[in-house]
Amino acid sequence: MSQTPKARRIILASSGAALVAAILLTTIILPSEYGWDPLGTGAALGLMELAGEDGTPLTLQAAGPYSDSIAFALAPYESVEYKYRLEADDTMIFEWRANEEVLVDMHAEPDGAAPGYAQTFNKTRTTHGKGSYRAGFDGIHGWYWQNRTQEDVIVTLKAQGFFTESLEMGNGRSNTRQFSE
Amino acid sequence: MTFVKFYALLLAVCAALLAAKSLGHDLSADNAAYVQGLEGTAVIPFLYLGAKHMFTGYDHLLFLLGVIFFLYRPKDIILYVTLFTLGHSITLFLGVWGHWQVSGHLVDAIIGLSIVYKAFENIGGFKLLWGFNPDTRVAVFVFGLCHGLGLATKLQGYIASGDSLMINLLSFNLGVELGQLLALSLILIILLQLRRYAAFQSRAFAINIVLMCAGFILAGNEFAGYLFA
Repeated sequence: MSQTPKARRIILASSGAALVAAILLTTIILPSEYGWDPLGTGAALGLMELAGEDGTPLTLQAAGPYSDSIAFALAPYESVEYKYRLEADDTMIFEWRANEEVLVDMHAEPDGAAPGYAQTFNKTRTTHGKGSYRAGFDGIHGWYWQNRTQEDVIVTLKAQGFFTESLEMGNGRSNTRQFSE
Repeated sequence: MTFVKFYALLLAVCAALLAAKSLGHDLSADNAAYVQGLEGTAVIPFLYLGAKHMFTGYDHLLFLLGVIFFLYRPKDIILYVTLFTLGHSITLFLGVWGHWQVSGHLVDAIIGLSIVYKAFENIGGFKLLWGFNPDTRVAVFVFGLCHGLGLATKLQGYIASGDSLMINLLSFNLGVELGQLLALSLILIILLQLRRYAAFQSRAFAINIVLMCAGFILAGNEFAGYLFA
């Protein structure tokens, strides 16, 4: 079928547009955005770093994860602090429950910070909490629970993550536990 | 001289689009955290987020540019934009209401292809190659439906259901229309300026090919996102 010059022009120009897009995508854009580099151009142009810029979803670990399950019996107005040692970007998931409302303060203390300094993430009165946590810095990360009732309260915590150590402090107790294979 | 001016303007448009890209299209992480923390009705924040979404959504803007590229009469511009808005609103409401979840990447890929489609139509591709032109009004309405669907999926992650859902959604949608109106005025000003140059008619073809290329890139990027991300 013969084509008019106009039709030829449209076909050529449109194919050209698609071709330019395909070249830009495979050589520059996709390596930068997704780290997909079929021709090796992304690596040659130093673009591969960009793909991980806004946080690669994957963090590989050499050890762990470890599971921890622990319960605390808190007498009226007694409190306990329980924290895990996590390096920056290490994650854990956790769930805790109390049979009565407690005062809870989830916080973290960076290594080398002034004594008493802590970064608080969530301070409230409730009976339970669960979630995921990604450490923003090397340090100890965990909870402070205080029984504000006249009854004994049991707080149970379950956590799984890439922590290496747990520290328990409160009412004269001080306890450290290592996690290892 | 007119050519120099013409290309300078074209360059300015490209620079503006690149700037818009860096602003990003999604609700940014900070905005998302803010909206998630909201309880109850929040008319002004959702109005603002809607307007921001539209104004920084370069794929929406490119599609609009394609749609009004050859529209000269205000009556036509209003008709097409209303059709687009209608489609956009319908799926935004139904999607959030019915908890529809579609892949945001796939929807955005279709939006990219909608730019390709419009540019191809603008250069007379359909008419010349296949002897017919799809009804642009239908196409614009259908693509409006797609655009709203993508937004509905994104918004569901942020907007809390409950009594205030309807008000918040209405505020967001109104914000989208306000942002669109604002963006449209800007595009129109630039287009009117471009049309004053004698080169416009002869360069219209080239501009639409560039538009088409941008559409291919957006679609390809989103499709890759669907596959890899």
